[in-house]
Amino acid sequence: MSKKQRIISVAIFATLIILILSGIFLIKTPINNADEISEVMRDAVLHEREKISIFGISVNPGLVSAYTVTAILLLLALIIRIFAIPKFKIIPGKFQLLLEQAVGTFDSLAEEKSPHRNKFLSFYIFAAGSYIFMGTIFELFGVQAVTERGSPISLPAPLADINGAIALGVMSYGVILIGGLVANGIGGALKALKDFSLPISMSFRLFGALLSGALVTELVYYYYSLSFVLPVIVGILFTLLHAIIQAYVLTMLTAQFYGESTENKKEE
Amino acid sequence: MNLPLNIDLRQILLHMLNFVILAFGMYFILYKPVKEFMEKRRKIYETTDKEAKENLAKADSLKKEYEEKLSFADEEIKKSREQSELQANSDAAKIIAKAQKEAEDILNKSKKQAEYESKEALQRANREISEITVAAAKKVVYKDTREAFDAFLESAKGDADGGK
Repeated sequence: MSKKQRIISVAIFATLIILILSGIFLIKTPINNADEISEVMRDAVLHEREKISIFGISVNPGLVSAYTVTAILLLLALIIRIFAIPKFKIIPGKFQLLLEQAVGTFDSLAEEKSPHRNKFLSFYIFAAGSYIFMGTIFELFGVQAVTERGSPISLPAPLADINGAIALGVMSYGVILIGGLVANGIGGALKALKDFSLPISMSFRLFGALLSGALVTELVYYYYSLSFVLPVIVGILFTLLHAIIQAYVLTMLTAQFYGESTENKKEE
Repeated sequence: MNLPLNIDLRQILLHMLNFVILAFGMYFILYKPVKEFMEKRRKIYETTDKEAKENLAKADSLKKEYEEKLSFADEEIKKSREQSELQANSDAAKIIAKAQKEAEDILNKSKKQAEYESKEALQRANREISEITVAAAKKVVYKDTREAFDAFLESAKGDADGGK
């Protein structure tokens, strides 16, 4: 490409962008649904208006996301199970390495944080980690659903729904509690009960982190002028990073407390 | 029950159900086979490692054994060589001694022989001298020179014949 051609193409690009931008700022766009931003934000937190009906039960969109994520994950797992795992070799290929890394990461995390008892924990944090990761990534795809009112809605991350976050937080606490009870009897359970704020903190940490991502994305997309380069940054910051960070934080915390409650005192 | 933040217990339970399904599905479909495979590989490597170590230990002990044997053999060779040297030395000494003895014997024998022969020669010479003397005396007795000369010649001739 000669210098002249390059200059021409850059000029065309620049004019195009300027034209579009001027159009955006000059034309006053009417907001069609008349959904006020405050209303949208409030609904993203509380889910008072936008409900989806499954089998006659009116639920938050997050629940639909949750089941969708499960279906996707199980399907993926099944595909991997059928097509990839029988071809596993002693010296792994790239994909096999990735899978083994995923399993091995949670496995070693469980082993490191809870050296006395980690079989169940390892599997639990593997499932929780992949659920949180996939659930958060899921938000990016913007799968559409129809609400009870008939309006379309893009499905949020399942854990941006407070019920989903509470479910996962409480379950993690339950795992810690039961692990302590099985390993150390009443003492272990009491040790876990001592941290009674754990389920609340775990639930709300997840909820807050993922909701913040959803809210900021919503906010950015609400205004046309913000919908250009910004969503890429926001999407990466609040979705991809959250996917990794939250998956790591919850699994790490669960492993940590599980290790404490199942700690074998007699050996010390 | 109306909880704040629109928390809905039924939905929480539904979320839990979802997660339990997910967890067990993931466990049986993905986690278990992958982990089993990793375990299998770990075992394979462990056995290979163990075998290699065993082989190494075996080789080491074999090496030691052979070295021991080798040093033993060396000693054996040294010993046998010394022995054979000793044997050879003693044999040589014996042979030399025998040879010396034989030489001495031969020398003694020849000495005796020589003595004996010289004695005999002496005796003979003595005898001849006495005979010559007797003959000379006879010649003196014979007055006639011619007669005497003949007689001497006769007797010398007879002597020489008898000596032979």
